[in-house]
Amino acid sequence: MKIENTKAQMRKGILELCILSIIAEQESYPSDIIGKLKESELIVVEGTLYPLLTRLKNAGLLHYNWKESHKGPPRKYYQLTKEGHQFLNELIGTWSSLVKAVELTTKNVISNE
Amino acid sequence: MNKIINVNLGGYPFTIDEDAYAHLNGYLETIHAHFKKSEGYEEITGDIESRMAELFSDKLKGAKIISLQSVKDVIKVMGTPEDFGAAPIHESIEADSYSTIQKGKTAKRFFRDSEDKILGGVASGMSAYFGIKDPLWLRLGFLIAFISGFGILLYIVLWVLAPETASAADRLAMRGEPININNIAKTVEEEIDGVGERLSNLTHKFDGKKKPRRERVNLGYSYRKGSIS
Repeated sequence: MKIENTKAQMRKGILELCILSIIAEQESYPSDIIGKLKESELIVVEGTLYPLLTRLKNAGLLHYNWKESHKGPPRKYYQLTKEGHQFLNELIGTWSSLVKAVELTTKNVISNE
Repeated sequence: MNKIINVNLGGYPFTIDEDAYAHLNGYLETIHAHFKKSEGYEEITGDIESRMAELFSDKLKGAKIISLQSVKDVIKVMGTPEDFGAAPIHESIEADSYSTIQKGKTAKRFFRDSEDKILGGVASGMSAYFGIKDPLWLRLGFLIAFISGFGILLYIVLWVLAPETASAADRLAMRGEPININNIAKTVEEEIDGVGERLSNLTHKFDGKKKPRRERVNLGYSYRKGSIS
């Protein structure tokens, strides 16, 4: 069992929550999203984000508008759909209960280690 | 001095050094192979190519030609499939079965080797398939079979049935090597060396003739809008 793999799975699990939150805050272009995710060290390379965005869009949680850019190709700006907002709310609910559950089950171990 | 190539990346034209092109092409082939089975394959790879186009135009800033170093820098930003790490949880079953195919267990396929052939490349492709190092033995076998009669028909049937290798990925599949960025880069480099060798053979052929004819070499770079194939 590889620790790196487990860590990556943990991060991946909350990545969708984080991406949806970033887009909920303001309409975003992938490289804005990447900037924020990199800051928080959730992803390291940009290639990880594109399949996720496509999947969230195909699931009807996101939609995008094309906007011209000063340099290079036009950009996709992503927004949350109504379903996307509901989905995010549920994820936030699950996340808060998970945080409590993890705190409860690990507090003795964490204080001892 | 370096040869340059014009490419269309994400709908934008770029001029790129030959070595940089080989590297970029190898990278895009791995990306395409990685996402081939994903839902929204075209969109994902399109997004990645457009983003790379944007990063290149950012990097160029007045310079005219994309160098190998800028290709390497941009790949570092985008990451290779190995960097994408563990697959999202609910995709992991599909992704796991894909990665076992990728890691070592790549099934060999019978191709005709376009790079090493006398007639149709059947013997060299078959040697690669059965793991025989030198296609000479099978060629001799075919020669004997030709003389005895039935071999010609067998050869023609194999020629028709087996596809010819068209890309670096095909050549790796022929040898049963895993298709990843390092292997593709290696194969592309070998192919470019091969072109150089054939060119110099060609010039040798014309030595001694009064007026060497200019040969146009088609390197086989083909593009369609928005992607490198």
